[in-house]
Amino acid sequence: MTLPKNVYKAFEDIVGATNISDDPVVLDSYRYSLAHTAIHLGPYYNTFTPRGAAVLLPGSAEEVQAIVKLCNKYKIKFKASSTFWSAQGYPSEENTIQLDMRRMDRILEIDEKNMFAVVEPGVIAATLQAETMKVGLNTHIAGSGCSCSVLASATSYFGSGPSNLYGGWFYDNLLGMEWVMPTGEIFRTGSLGSDCGWFCGEGPGPSMKGVARGFLGAKGAMGVFTKCAVKLFAWPGPESLPVEGTIPSYRAKLPDNFKAYTLAFPSWKAWADGVYTIWDTGIGYLAHRQFNMFGRDLKFAMVKILTDPTKTLGDLEEFLADLEVQEVTGQMKRDFQIVLVGMTPRDMAWQEKALDEILARSGGWKVEAMNVPEIHDWALLYLIRLGHKNLNLVFGGSYDGCFGLPGSADFGASNAEEAGQFKKEWEQRGAVVEAGGDCQMGPIGGQGGGGTCLWENFTCFDPSDKFSTEGTLEFFDAATEYGIKRGWGVGMEKWNGAARGPDGKTTSKEERDKMHLSAPQPNVFRYQHKVREALNPNNLGDEYFCRKN
Amino acid sequence: MVDLRGMKRILKIDRRNRLALIEPGVTYAELQPALQEEGLRIISPLLARKNKSVIASLLEREPVISPKYQWNLVEPLRSLEIVWGNGDKFYSGSGTFRGEKDEDWQAGLVPVVGPGPNQLDFNRFVSAAQGSMGIVTWASVKCEVYPQARKLFFIPAEKLEDLIDFTYKLLKFRFGDELFILNNTCLANILGSQAAEIEFQKNELPAWTVVVGITGGHILAEEKLAAQEADICDIAQQYGLRMVPALQGVRGDEMLDIILGPSPEPYWKLRYKGGSQEIFFLTTLDKTPRFVTTLLSAANERQYPVPDIGVYLQPVHQGVGCHCEFMLPFDRANQAEVRKTRDLFRDASHRLFRQGAYFSRPYGIWADMVYNADARTMLVTQKVKNIFDPGHVMNPGKLCF
Amino acid sequence: MALEDFAAEMDRCSSCSYCKWMPFDQIKSWRFAKNCPSIAYHNFNSYSARGRYLVARSLLNEQSETSDTVRQVVYTCLACGSCDVSCKGCRYNLEPLEMVRELKSHLVEDGQRLGEHLAIIESLRKENNTMGAARSGRGAWADGLKVKHLPAEKAEVLFHAGCRISYDKEFQKNARFAVQILLDAGVDLGILGEQEMCCGGRIYSMGYRDDFTRLAKANMATWTKSGVTTVVTSCSDGYHAFKRLYPKLGSEVEVLHTVEYIDRLIKEGQLKFKNEVPLTVTYHDPCHLGRQGEPYIPWDGVEKKIKSQVVVYEPKKPRYNGAWGIYDPPRDILRSIPGIELVEMERIREYSWCCGAGGGVREAYPEFSTWTANERIIEAGSTGAEALVTACPWCERNFLDAINGQDSGMKVLDIIELVQRAL
Repeated sequence: MTLPKNVYKAFEDIVGATNISDDPVVLDSYRYSLAHTAIHLGPYYNTFTPRGAAVLLPGSAEEVQAIVKLCNKYKIKFKASSTFWSAQGYPSEENTIQLDMRRMDRILEIDEKNMFAVVEPGVIAATLQAETMKVGLNTHIAGSGCSCSVLASATSYFGSGPSNLYGGWFYDNLLGMEWVMPTGEIFRTGSLGSDCGWFCGEGPGPSMKGVARGFLGAKGAMGVFTKCAVKLFAWPGPESLPVEGTIPSYRAKLPDNFKAYTLAFPSWKAWADGVYTIWDTGIGYLAHRQFNMFGRDLKFAMVKILTDPTKTLGDLEEFLADLEVQEVTGQMKRDFQIVLVGMTPRDMAWQEKALDEILARSGGWKVEAMNVPEIHDWALLYLIRLGHKNLNLVFGGSYDGCFGLPGSADFGASNAEEAGQFKKEWEQRGAVVEAGGDCQMGPIGGQGGGGTCLWENFTCFDPSDKFSTEGTLEFFDAATEYGIKRGWGVGMEKWNGAARGPDGKTTSKEERDKMHLSAPQPNVFRYQHKVREALNPNNLGDEYFCRKN
Repeated sequence: MVDLRGMKRILKIDRRNRLALIEPGVTYAELQPALQEEGLRIISPLLARKNKSVIASLLEREPVISPKYQWNLVEPLRSLEIVWGNGDKFYSGSGTFRGEKDEDWQAGLVPVVGPGPNQLDFNRFVSAAQGSMGIVTWASVKCEVYPQARKLFFIPAEKLEDLIDFTYKLLKFRFGDELFILNNTCLANILGSQAAEIEFQKNELPAWTVVVGITGGHILAEEKLAAQEADICDIAQQYGLRMVPALQGVRGDEMLDIILGPSPEPYWKLRYKGGSQEIFFLTTLDKTPRFVTTLLSAANERQYPVPDIGVYLQPVHQGVGCHCEFMLPFDRANQAEVRKTRDLFRDASHRLFRQGAYFSRPYGIWADMVYNADARTMLVTQKVKNIFDPGHVMNPGKLCF
Repeated sequence: MALEDFAAEMDRCSSCSYCKWMPFDQIKSWRFAKNCPSIAYHNFNSYSARGRYLVARSLLNEQSETSDTVRQVVYTCLACGSCDVSCKGCRYNLEPLEMVRELKSHLVEDGQRLGEHLAIIESLRKENNTMGAARSGRGAWADGLKVKHLPAEKAEVLFHAGCRISYDKEFQKNARFAVQILLDAGVDLGILGEQEMCCGGRIYSMGYRDDFTRLAKANMATWTKSGVTTVVTSCSDGYHAFKRLYPKLGSEVEVLHTVEYIDRLIKEGQLKFKNEVPLTVTYHDPCHLGRQGEPYIPWDGVEKKIKSQVVVYEPKKPRYNGAWGIYDPPRDILRSIPGIELVEMERIREYSWCCGAGGGVREAYPEFSTWTANERIIEAGSTGAEALVTACPWCERNFLDAINGQDSGMKVLDIIELVQRAL
């Protein structure tokens, strides 16, 4: 779709001539490959999201409001994104304006005493963390890493990550918001709306935060969030990370009140026992089954590569043939990573003792090979800054996750081996990386204090290879079918299947309705439709906000 | 009027997942002992009424006394079974895992998730809604481990300002379990069983006190207790304060016994004069001294006896906010007092609101104040109401309906 | 190579946006976290490495045509390589820097050229320099220096001054200093003077490969004729060209930057500092000495897959990710000068912020180039340093020109000037 000249001019008058473009090549740089990376649909070979009508770079909430009002006037859909690392951020139809929020990138406030920060959409977790550390605070970082927008994770998508356990996930941490609604009004939620500051996301009365996000956010389909506040937590460490080493094997030598461990267990029951007891005891600053994303068979070899700047993927087979690597790989089968941070030396000493006690009771152990100083310091930095998440794609250039059903730790533990085995068999067909089947990664504690787990089974493939991409899709379809057959439900591989289909555009209504009607509570989507009708009457969003009328 | 007191079942207590499934008639007085038998407890409000429903309390967003466990403000509430105003039965969070089948519990299909499902947060629509959106007929609630060891300490000061930074430090480090601040009157109301006792205690107790409980869970409980006790003591010293195991008239263990259970009769806020009017709102801890000043000024102007005013400051949501509560006792039989208290209530409410008090639970006159000032919230709330209770049958006249 | 050779990469790049930032582990503040000047300035995604992958794809698939916008998107890439370093913090099978070079070359071959660049090419073809100056004046900087003039004379070590130093009067003294230091250390040194030709590095990064090859071959022939086995230069652009680009055409000479030589002389005890230089300085790592200054490792191989879909290479492919660039010699020099206090900026070493001069950007997009330089000057100022020190005349010129436009007390110095002061 080409914007009529007068409409283009109207948008240009809002943002300025240098902040709008409908040049085809610029628009093509705002298209996402559907053979990619945790978009939870497809993957579809050689398929891209559609070209939008124009891309705009707003600089303020006022500009966003003016844009949205104009969109309502001309009935043009709009889609905002901050860092563009998911198909969710891109247009689903051609008559859509792409809003690129990167110019709105201020950290407006860090309230040290009350421990919250106010950010605009373009603020990524890395820069927020760097600034909060200066005042002894830390921010939760979503599992996709510190390159992602804090506001986007908190208001519009998921926001689960390694620091859920102590820091809370973004659902927990979201406070007041400034929201340009789909019709262009500005809605300030919680205490912000009452002009009392940012500190409370709830109320007054029933929280209208609940229309902004539930378990997931609206994924850009319901207006634009222009500011939000997020709760922070303590950082009893130096004002900036003391990074040393040669790229890419950076590591951080933090004081003694910071320790990273890889814990492993003799059985899944013992694994779950350990996890539950850790939650009960209240230790741990972050906990995640992180490095297993490389695959049960490959993870320790990958750790060896990543911690040695002279090594590359080309050294993988050599490491895999190494007996010591094999031995450690065997030890690490049922593992996860945990970082202990002591607020005081006594606190640290107690946590360490408690962890040892928990391991003794559950039969688990610390994987000593991961305690070697270069590896320990690398793991600590990796987990705290979470700045290496494009390692998700290290093997062939793409990955997506399957299974990933949220539930109690026992639920995950009960299906982990089986889900892994299922994948392992499919790995033999050659379309995806042979990584050992169990490539399941996820937080130890899906919410603050623990309580749930969600394991994304990483499936790595080559998006430039038709056989690989199509084979991955076949596997994901099979995984969905298997999950349903086993009573686990539809996994995360289909989370966005209702939003976008094989041609890169919105899934047909027929398909969407079928999916929503087969959900445990189809009413969810009827209510979501009503909310959408009420708040987005001109329907200026795509089907990433799921509904059924 | 729908009276849910008859729905009194504790449907399930799951030690492993630290969940309890309860019906709306279950009170704290009933739940806590049942949980204790399973090695659990639920974080509760300060001396809830004996017949206070757990679900009602959590739905009203009554503050709980242990802020460190509140990763979000509605905790420990998790999944809900809701009957909306339109008659629909609905499960929020992972409530579809009702947990009625043992094999589900075995398989780990348990209602442990609060948000959602999907992209709306249905539990938020019944939170602080004063029954105007739907009725909750069942809830799963998060429990904590029942500690093998506990202690309680007091950190007194003459000025509230002197306790603020110390409390922030505890919140930041998440040291202490139960953690709140009381003025002398409020503490006296808690400790005393009748007016004369309360009157005496008021004058003996320090002007302000931080109450901090320390728990050792079930792993190395004594060691944890010792470590935190020493650390909190150090922190108190850093701020020029003393951490003491007892105050005039009460030891730490005695205070623990009092605050961990519901209020004995008569309800503690009513013991001094028989009636009590509360003003409560959310703010941040650092702003509380000026709100206290405002309230006391208003009281002075209206010749309401300042020494009678109880102040309860409860950090919430791990310290990002603070529930600020003023208790204005009055004699119900004395019409002049009733009038004075009511007038003070209105006047102070307005002054506090203008000063930035956030009436997040907008009862009575607060609803008008809040919704008149925040029209956008009002409009959106009304739209949501029209979806879940299109007939407006649920508690009409509340909030902005 | 051709643009089509990057087709797999265009698909394998996953829009993670790491190319827009310095390596995240190293971020110390909100203010100095970005590392790609072109997207930091222009903001549209097309101005990042990821964006350029998509632009390349769009052009290759004929989904769009070259336009003014396309030219701007492509030619505003400084080819500084910061995207490459950040991407390779995690990825082993993407080459963003190679891709943008290829994209530029593609546009040049397609006739999509900028007038400002053509003027440079014209100057090169006529006068063997990028400065639009007469070749006859090239050797003037060495007037009076008692040094061998090649190829008439022979020497093992050639000092290559470079176009910028040769013609920029403010910097000529730095070349004289460097030569004198080496001569005093007993190095068998010569210069080409008027016979010196441009290294071709700048035009390579602008996409003019044929002209680069012509210059490179001519230079290599002259070196052979002159008996040169080692080339030393104070220009980081030239350093990179000789060290990393020329070997692909068969060059086997050793290549050193002046700072490497001086560092060696200090550590061998041949250079001793007598004077104190009381100055707080911060050091700017030039792109072509730092992250692009790694040793060249020849490789001719193919892609293969292991474990079904892990992309590797046969034989193992060398990895250029900035790890082994020249970062410590200049710092060691500064630390050994009495009185100098070295304070570091936040974006240093392999994740240094570009000066804004490279890739033909200074010539074609002066406003953007100046903005980029100013960003660096602000960062230098934030350290409290009195002087911004570097080891490349292009960086120095761009910084000085940017400072001249403002009221800044920041001095811009070449490291050789401090060495000279201390001797």
